[in-house]
Amino acid sequence: MCARNSLYTNPKPCKHLADYKLRHGFNGYDSLQNCLKITPNGRARVDKHNTKIPRCNFCNGSQGRLYICLICSAISCSSHILLHTQSEKGHEVAVDMERSELYCCLCRDQVYDPDFDKVVVSKQVKDLPGGSKSNGFEGGCDGSSKRKRLDSGIGLDLKKSKLLITMRDRRAKSCYPLGLRGLNNLGSTCFMNSVLQALLHAPPLRNYFLSDRHNSFQCRKKSGEKVCLLCDIDALYSAMFSGDRTPYSPAQFLYSWWQHSSNLASYEEQDAHEFFISVLDVIHEKESKMLNSRKDDGYCQCIAHRAFSGLLRSDVTCISCGFTSTTYDPCVDISLNLDTSILSPSDVANKPIKPDEKTGVSTLSGCLNLFTGAEKLGSDQKLHCQNCQELRDSSKQLSIRRLPLVLCLHIKRVEHSLVRKMSRKINQYLQFPFSLDMTPYLSSSITRNRFGNRIFAFEYENSDSCAEYEIFSVIAHSGMLESGHYVTYLRLKNQWYKCDDAWVSEVDEGIVRASQCYMLFYVQKPLFYKANEDTRCVRISPRRDPFSSTAGCSSNAK
Amino acid sequence: MSVPNEDNTQLSSHFYGDLLDSIIVDVASECHRIAKLGLDHNLEEEEEEMRLSAQARARVTDPSNSGETNNKYVVDIFGQTHPSIASEIFECMNCGRSISAGRFAPHLEKCMGKGRKARLKVTRSTTSAQNRYSRGSPVSTYSPFSNPTSTHILSNGTPSVAGEEYSNGTYEGP
Repeated sequence: MCARNSLYTNPKPCKHLADYKLRHGFNGYDSLQNCLKITPNGRARVDKHNTKIPRCNFCNGSQGRLYICLICSAISCSSHILLHTQSEKGHEVAVDMERSELYCCLCRDQVYDPDFDKVVVSKQVKDLPGGSKSNGFEGGCDGSSKRKRLDSGIGLDLKKSKLLITMRDRRAKSCYPLGLRGLNNLGSTCFMNSVLQALLHAPPLRNYFLSDRHNSFQCRKKSGEKVCLLCDIDALYSAMFSGDRTPYSPAQFLYSWWQHSSNLASYEEQDAHEFFISVLDVIHEKESKMLNSRKDDGYCQCIAHRAFSGLLRSDVTCISCGFTSTTYDPCVDISLNLDTSILSPSDVANKPIKPDEKTGVSTLSGCLNLFTGAEKLGSDQKLHCQNCQELRDSSKQLSIRRLPLVLCLHIKRVEHSLVRKMSRKINQYLQFPFSLDMTPYLSSSITRNRFGNRIFAFEYENSDSCAEYEIFSVIAHSGMLESGHYVTYLRLKNQWYKCDDAWVSEVDEGIVRASQCYMLFYVQKPLFYKANEDTRCVRISPRRDPFSSTAGCSSNAK
Repeated sequence: MSVPNEDNTQLSSHFYGDLLDSIIVDVASECHRIAKLGLDHNLEEEEEEMRLSAQARARVTDPSNSGETNNKYVVDIFGQTHPSIASEIFECMNCGRSISAGRFAPHLEKCMGKGRKARLKVTRSTTSAQNRYSRGSPVSTYSPFSNPTSTHILSNGTPSVAGEEYSNGTYEGP
């Protein structure tokens, strides 16, 4: 499916390169390695004599492209490289001195050899300050050698649940997937409804709660607390997946949440993303208490983290010497800035972009590129370089060290003007794909790119973790900053539904693509396909009452 | 006024041309490597997604289309109709009174003594940032240079001042 064993294809050598390897093996590569000079930004150049300017043997010119022969080290420019091959039999492979790339003179093309790349990378590792401990080469000490088997997560597999019974619902409404149900707006609570709809259909969470992993009866017995947000979430799942299609009022949930997040307890002007973080926070707190903060491989085992938690890596590189220091931070989502660089000055005034205007479109991959791009820090942000032992200009680069099962991408749509002390919503359209490959944003890819995309097996690349995602929910915001409206689009069994508080309708995928996205929810491909297999199951609660009361606030507790 | 030295002009053009060539080959070489190693194997799928999105946008902005995205619903997919303010009635779990769903949140706010009273004491952004860091749990900020996420907030709710695009940074409320 998506487990590609190598992140790149090994290109076949041309006849001439193959011949060269047969006759000369690694001799040329090894002697060239001594002539390689590594610049602080990681590039490898061939520099035989530190003081002399390399010149072409034939024309004595030093401009244009220069190539050094792997056999006799003769230097020729691009105009005369063929002459060298003709005058010396068998001297067919050379190296571009500026970029350290193999060049076949007869094919007149750049060629590739993993063994050559290995030689270059070894020199890069050796010469860059910090050596193999920094610059993105991870040892086994941070647990990277342990591969977390994410797809065999216990309790995340719906089929293993004993309480599920496949039931045929004879009502006409049964042709719609279960769990599809409107949520009543309790008074400006669409921010909450929109996030709940997305969470209800996140495969790991859905499977967890529908498999009765949080048993309310046992929970109350254990903790003795009357209010448990997880029990209320569990009740919410029961109600939403009961088969009842009348809109549900998540009143008990609201009450519970406000008791936990008293600082956010206000019915007006709430942000969906803030709510999302808050809910995960509360789930984590509650589960940590119950699980006694059990950590497996250093990763938190609460359902919120198991589903959403990933690891970000931050590399800060000294521009003068190239020394890189690396730090790691966990995250439950990624907040992205819009790549507004493609806009012309007239668009900044927030005029709608016409489709026929050639101004380009903001894309999700553009935002992700911006997020993982190397950012030069201003001279007012000089950092202390361990190697140079003084403050230096630096560049910072973020990348994803470990991807979560469910990837939540938050689009920052608020712009602050410090001058005018005002905030403004950015209504700009953002293109986003339904299938997303996160490989280019992984730490392994970013590191590889920094070293020139050489063919080299970096230690910690785990190919068993899937980087391919499918979208399952979009939260869209319409309207202005202080007074807008949230809706959620859900993708169930390849049909898109729009959940606008109590109103659930079918929509064409084009509507979703054209919407103004605020939060995007992607899930790893294997989980997506599994989740969309069979949803004709109804959960029977222990009390054998398939339909909980809709409001959930009258006392059902035993 | 002396005539600009032709040799100098030629020389600088020459240097410029050399630099430009070098940069072009640099980019070409990098792209060549990426293509040969198959690092851009998703290019076709990405282009297809772009095309579908452009198509979708064109259809939506086309005035001849009946507004599918407008908010005038008649029936939902289950054949049901809903009032603009939810009318379901249930008991408040705090005070026991019967409240209609659409007015539940404002009622609960007063009932629990939260909301405006709590907000006057402390601003939302400081406590939520504090809570996030003190709990040591899902922290959304990951760089020392980014703004705390609490400043990137899109609100929902009834319009307080109609037609006003800008609002100031502090939350005054209606």
